Amino acid sequence: MKEVMLDCYGEACPVPLVKAQNKLNELELGDVLIVQIDHSCAMKNVPEWARKEGYNVEVEEVDDGEWEVIIEKNK
Amino acid sequence: MAEVSRASRRGSNRNRKPKKNQIPFGVLLALFVVVVAIILNAKSSTLALFWITGTAFGFVLQKGRFCFTASMRDPYLTGSTSLTRAVIIAFALTTIGFTAIKYGYAAQGLPIPGMSYVAPISIATLIGAFMFGVGMVIAGGCASGTLMRVGEGFYMNMISLVFFVVGSLLGAHDYGWWKEHFISKGPSVFLPDVFGWMGAVVLQLLVLMALYVIAEKYEAKRGGAGH
Repeated sequence: MKEVMLDCYGEACPVPLVKAQNKLNELELGDVLIVQIDHSCAMKNVPEWARKEGYNVEVEEVDDGEWEVIIEKNK
Repeated sequence: MAEVSRASRRGSNRNRKPKKNQIPFGVLLALFVVVVAIILNAKSSTLALFWITGTAFGFVLQKGRFCFTASMRDPYLTGSTSLTRAVIIAFALTTIGFTAIKYGYAAQGLPIPGMSYVAPISIATLIGAFMFGVGMVIAGGCASGTLMRVGEGFYMNMISLVFFVVGSLLGAHDYGWWKEHFISKGPSVFLPDVFGWMGAVVLQLLVLMALYVIAEKYEAKRGGAGH
């Protein structure tokens, strides 16, 4: 049950999404991936993709214009 | 949903600095927009209109997370067509709106506005569209998207903006040559001339509706399987 941070600050859409997809593939069941983003477009498509995949997703605005998308690999 | 709350307790929220209250800045900015509009209006009401519509358009783009780039890219990348369908709906609305304006002028026997945008179609259109598509995905934004993200303060798009200007200048510099040798060779089609006003609107809406249905089917087919 580890928790992995993925730093995507300064990365434009769709780089955070692709990185998150690749990272999540490496993780084990029950692990949590935290994607840090500051691109408003990635704020939309990363959670949208993860929810569609059926993972538990939470989005938190940690600072103005900076978000953490918390994805739990629950399946 | 116990599991969601478990996900929500994670994150790097241990030593977070408090966020600045943005409301005073927002009020100041709104005042600034109004003051500039009043100043512009003293010079020309058209300028003030451009200023207000431009500001409103930017606001809608940002808050709606509307992105033409994503509308073309996400179907392939994530299988999501929500933005693609949003763009199709926008096209459908503008089709009706612009046709109404143009028909209004034509019905009164006045010259139809915006006819200079009925440009010839040629292989240049295809090649140009393809190049633009590749460029906007790499740059992380089309023209409006780049401007909107510069406003958000995203540094990478500032670089995009600089080279967007450079490219536009180069393009404008050589446009005459391209127009003479390639672009003007193609036929230019104004749909109402071919199908009549009603026919053109109906045809275009039918095509858009078909695209919408295809987009929805495609998303359902990609479903949760994704990658």
